[in-house]
Parts: sequence; structure tokens; C-alpha cells
Amino acid sequence: MNDVLATTLVGIFGILGSLIVLASALAMFKVRDALSRINVFSPATGLGMPLIVIAAYVWTLDDRGFDWPSLFIAIVAVLCLIIVSSVASNTLSRSSVLSGQPIHRKTSPNRLAKPPAGVVDEDPDAPAGGADETAGRS
Amino acid sequence: MNVVVSICIGILAVAIIVGLIRVLTAKDMGSRAVVGDLVYFSAIGMLTFIGMQVSSSIVLDGIFLASMVGILATIALSRILTRGYR
Repeated sequence: MNDVLATTLVGIFGILGSLIVLASALAMFKVRDALSRINVFSPATGLGMPLIVIAAYVWTLDDRGFDWPSLFIAIVAVLCLIIVSSVASNTLSRSSVLSGQPIHRKTSPNRLAKPPAGVVDEDPDAPAGGADETAGRS
Repeated sequence: MNVVVSICIGILAVAIIVGLIRVLTAKDMGSRAVVGDLVYFSAIGMLTFIGMQVSSSIVLDGIFLASMVGILATIALSRILTRGYR
């Protein structure tokens, strides 16, 4: 591959991917709770890191020429980043909700804060009079 | 090529520093776990670019393995958050 072309492509993909990771890091100051931080972190792993993998593949292509194992490794690395990081984000957000991390009042939509539609949410610890009143209203 | 790679390493280093400042100022453990993940992936990116700079032959292998085992750190942090409960 032409050296100038390789440098240009590595620059475009590498700098764009690094900037997306930096933007995710800066966005962590904008949002106020752990759930939203997990949310703004997804572009870094879903788009920024695959761009860096593509930059690494273009560099390998320029350095050693084309071979199938490198292409396979690059494709599997991109797929791993997308799939594995999604599962990891899901696990981390689930555990942060389960462990009772504070959720900012402006996090929206926060469907976990209220019961699903059609479910009557009765507090078992509430006094008997209060429970009857709630049932009567609904 | 060296200039481009150095710029990328610099941007990722700034991302790590910003994340560490966020760890210092964050009050809840969930945010710290997320920032730990961010630092991990930024470090992997930096390692990749350093490999390009020294003309290493395992650039792709490194980022491939790191992306495959990256879930382990996150799952360990989430288990720590829930104190071992699933």
C-alpha cells in the first residue's frame, strides 16, 4: 500500500477513535449518575475502539501486506468489542441498580423508579389504613 | 506516521487523565467502576499505538486479546458492587 495513503487512513481512523474515547471521558462530567455514565461510555467501546482496531489493521496492511489471519483477527476483534462491551455494560448497569447507587432525578426515562403499567404497587410495610386507602383509590 | 501515532497517544492520555479526575470527584462506586473500564480501554488503545510506533508485529493480537478479556474486569467490578450477589 502507498505510504501516504496508509498514514492518512491511520490518521483518520486513529485520531477519530481517540477523539471519541476522549469525548466519552468528557461526557462523564456532564451526566450525574452511574447509569448515565455507563450509557455515555458505550460510544467509546462501540465506535471508538473499533476505529482504533481498523487503524491498527491498516497499519498492519501497510507494514506486512495482506494476509487472511490478520483480517480474521481484526474482524473478530471488532465483533468482540461490540458484543462483549454490550454484555459488560448490561452487567455493570444491572449491578449498579441492584447495589442501590443513587440515580439523579433528571435521568430520564427512569422506568425503574415507578412500577410497570397495570401493576398496583402496594407497600407491605405500610399501616393497614393507608393500604386500604390506596386500594380504594385505585 | 510517527506524528499521527503520537497525536493519538496524546489524545488517549488526556482521556485517561480526565477519567482519573472524574474518579477523584465521583461520589458513588458505580461511576468509579465505569471510569475504571474507560481507563482500561484507553490504555489498550495507547498500547496499540505504542506498538505501531515501535513497529511491533503483535499490534492486532494485543488489541484482539484485550477486547476478548475486557469483560472480565467489568464483571469483577460489578460483582464487587453487589458484594458477590448476582
